[in-house]
Amino acid sequence: MSFWQPIKSRLYEINWLLPVLIYILGLVGVAMIFAATDGVWNNGAKQHLIRLVAAGLVMLVVALIDIKIWYHLAYPIFIIALIMLVAVDMWGVSINGSQRWLDLKFTRVQPSEIMKLAIVMALARYYHDLDRARVSHIIGLVIALIVIALPAQFILRQPDLGTTLLLTMTAIAMIFLAGVNWRVISSGIVAATIAIPVFFMFGLKEYQRARIRTFFDPSSDPTGAGYHITQSKIALGSGGVSGKGYMNGTQRQLEYVPENRTDFIFTVIGEEFGLVGSLATMALYILLIAMCVWMAMQCKHKFSKLLILGLTTTFALYVFINLAMVMGLAPVVGVPLPLISYGGTVILAVMIGFGLMLSAHLYRKSELPRGGR
Amino acid sequence: MLSGLGLTTFGILSARLYYLQVTRAEDYTVLSDNNRFNYHIIIPSRGRILDRSGEPLALNRQDYRLTLVAEQVPDVDATLDKINDVVPLSEKNRKRVFSDIKRHAKFVPVLIEDHLSWDQFAALNLRAPEIPGVVPQVGDVRSYPHHGVFSHVLGYVGSAGPSDVEKDNDPLLKQPTFRMGKTGVEAAVDKTLRGKSGRLKVEVNAVGRIVREWPEEENQAASGKDVWLTLDASLQKYAAELFEEDSGGVAVMDVMTGELRVLLSMPTFDGNLFVSGLTQKDMDEMNSDERRPQFNKVIGGGYPPASTFKMSVMLAVLKNKVINPKERIICSGKVRVGNRNFHCWKRRGHGPMDFMDALKHSCDTYFYEMAQRLSIDKVAEVATSLGLGQRFDLGIRGQTSGIVPTQVWKQKRLGQGWRMGDSLNAFIGQGFVLTTPLQLAVMAARIANGRKAVSPHLIIGDDAPKFGDLGVDHEHMAMVQKAMWRVCSEPGGTAYRHNALGFEGIEMAGKTGTGQVRGISASERASGVIHNRELPWKLRDHSIFVGYAPFNGPRFAVGTIVEHGGSGAKRAANITRALLKRVLENDGIPELLERDALR
Repeated sequence: MSFWQPIKSRLYEINWLLPVLIYILGLVGVAMIFAATDGVWNNGAKQHLIRLVAAGLVMLVVALIDIKIWYHLAYPIFIIALIMLVAVDMWGVSINGSQRWLDLKFTRVQPSEIMKLAIVMALARYYHDLDRARVSHIIGLVIALIVIALPAQFILRQPDLGTTLLLTMTAIAMIFLAGVNWRVISSGIVAATIAIPVFFMFGLKEYQRARIRTFFDPSSDPTGAGYHITQSKIALGSGGVSGKGYMNGTQRQLEYVPENRTDFIFTVIGEEFGLVGSLATMALYILLIAMCVWMAMQCKHKFSKLLILGLTTTFALYVFINLAMVMGLAPVVGVPLPLISYGGTVILAVMIGFGLMLSAHLYRKSELPRGGR
Repeated sequence: MLSGLGLTTFGILSARLYYLQVTRAEDYTVLSDNNRFNYHIIIPSRGRILDRSGEPLALNRQDYRLTLVAEQVPDVDATLDKINDVVPLSEKNRKRVFSDIKRHAKFVPVLIEDHLSWDQFAALNLRAPEIPGVVPQVGDVRSYPHHGVFSHVLGYVGSAGPSDVEKDNDPLLKQPTFRMGKTGVEAAVDKTLRGKSGRLKVEVNAVGRIVREWPEEENQAASGKDVWLTLDASLQKYAAELFEEDSGGVAVMDVMTGELRVLLSMPTFDGNLFVSGLTQKDMDEMNSDERRPQFNKVIGGGYPPASTFKMSVMLAVLKNKVINPKERIICSGKVRVGNRNFHCWKRRGHGPMDFMDALKHSCDTYFYEMAQRLSIDKVAEVATSLGLGQRFDLGIRGQTSGIVPTQVWKQKRLGQGWRMGDSLNAFIGQGFVLTTPLQLAVMAARIANGRKAVSPHLIIGDDAPKFGDLGVDHEHMAMVQKAMWRVCSEPGGTAYRHNALGFEGIEMAGKTGTGQVRGISASERASGVIHNRELPWKLRDHSIFVGYAPFNGPRFAVGTIVEHGGSGAKRAANITRALLKRVLENDGIPELLERDALR
């Protein structure tokens, strides 16, 4: 009793509205994977449900651990994640031409997924500890940029453009949230305008450049990379306002949209439930994100605030990029729709992220080492 | 500020969704349906080609094939080995199977072997359950049951080539198993035989596999229509037997209707070989044969008509009144014109010859005399009206017009003026004159008919053919007919046989021709020892005969040329006699006449 009592009382204090929203989206995912696999329960839908439940338990455990502990673990986790990225670079397992996995004998892990969480934690701690006045200082900026550039560089080499972009954008958003001044922001924008074309020419592999080129002109490659975009737009567009009905999507049934169980699952929603279903799904995501922002507002410490906002940014970027890609507004970069797309690693990473947010919110009043003002 | 950015982004996404799912929904629905539906072309079964009594000359045979569906085969090599136990597969064929598998989607059946025997097919069907992915199939293939005898007329079928597809946008032509008429009747009435393709609406997935059929929206294929020919299968086969190993052509024609009962070129080739794919050996054999089996001689071969041309000359002579038919010309065996000697075929000469005798004995000297009295142009006029020097509307390709020379023709063609020597040669059907066996049959038919310019036809159509007037004086024609009767039916005629056709009261009329292939040298003429049979085949004379029967009330006319067959009185005359006898018999003419006589 003595061990369970505090845990039990903590359980009551958790913001249960967040898990409810998460599970509504997760179940939408189960239903859509079921449809995408032609109504075969065993071909993803069941696994998705099991993973949701399992990852949900992990989320609870993470949530119940005091935010103080996560604060202290922030740097060690970041360093371990960085070491794993180096290991992937040297001994990683190649799948489909990308070297993203690390074989740990009993399981395979994708260190870039860990890094997505780790970098948010590390930056949150960094800015928690940093004096507010130094945020815009040159040294303060350079250290932050190094923290970002190190993992980003390794992930880009795998190559995984989608994750690199996600990571970099999240980190930059965090610098911004930490209260960097306008001078830095504007010079950053200038630097980016110069850097992006240079990056496009020298920082990318040929297939990545092709994907971006194809995005701007899908008809140039109708059977290759442009095929994804064209068929995906056909699926969405032919859904109309009310959709073709659940399990009635022809594009989906006839396997015209590739990867419609994973990255392109939104096409199934759009085709079978039309504009109504698409907007409803988007509304659920907005609600979830708004809930996270609301949780951040309630936190006392900068670490908790930045942690929640950083993780929320990652999640929101996932959603934005995936939807924009499916609708033909962004290049095909291989970013899943979190909670709905089939894929174990992503679910686990997202759920741990939500666990951290719940923890930050749950222990919003507990004491943290005093950081900078 | 960030939440503002977030809301803006979601706003953009919503606007995009609205654009895709509302503004452009219709366009995308169409695109989605295009993705989804496909039309499968159903190949109609090809119409048959029948002879006049309905006997099939070309039909569709069931062909037994073996196909393989790669995705259902665990090990292609092992599977082919198993099949090899029943049907021996060549190394070349195995390689082709592998490359076909690579070229097509994994669910598309790939042909392993076709034209299987029934025994092989039955054995494979028995073993099929233990060889997964191997599917025995039955398909249509064109078959010519009479093999060679009708090949030149029927032609053959083959896959559509790029030039065919360009000219004809029928979707059938793009089907790999579709066969279209390439030559002969198959090509002439291809549209009729072909039928109309059917369409089956099918739902296909992204890789082209059919996931559902929509039979309620099926457009049934309309089978091709049968085509009837005027030919008589048994008579044509009999004609081929009569030719034995010889080369040439023969046409048997109804003198009233123009229907061709026989249109045969010899030797023949087997049209079935072209359907199943000609081997190099067959090809070489065909090409090395000096008798040229592929050449349709009966309509495409131009031969000197020799003495069979003399009827045209006689009609022109009578028409232009250049001689009194009673007037006699003395034949001494040769005539000197200019500084050249022109010989009669009978070295010792025929003695005095009048008009009728000249044809009966085919005296060349008489015609040499006529050549000096009458312009070639006048003869050409008559010859053309009798059907020489022209093509007829048979439907099938490969006809030659032959040559009926005139002064203008020679000037145009050779840039030289007409000479007396040219006339002398032309008046006995040598020199520039060239005719086909079909034209000779038409000529005989028009002479026999006497009134109408009957033209041959081969494919039975909807309209009864109409013929114009021949425009030859009936008395003149009667004289020529009588002369031709004398050739066959009066002792001393060049083709005389007692009771030639073997029916009481039925007599035939005709004319022999012996077409020279080589110039005969003076020394040969002097010694006279070289007999035709002693010459190499290529240098022997062509044996030519035209004839019709019955003499009283003509029904059928025949034109026969046997290449290098020697004297016209022999090979060609025998074939013609036999065919006339058989065609009259087939139509029951002797019985009819007998009954009339009894009445």
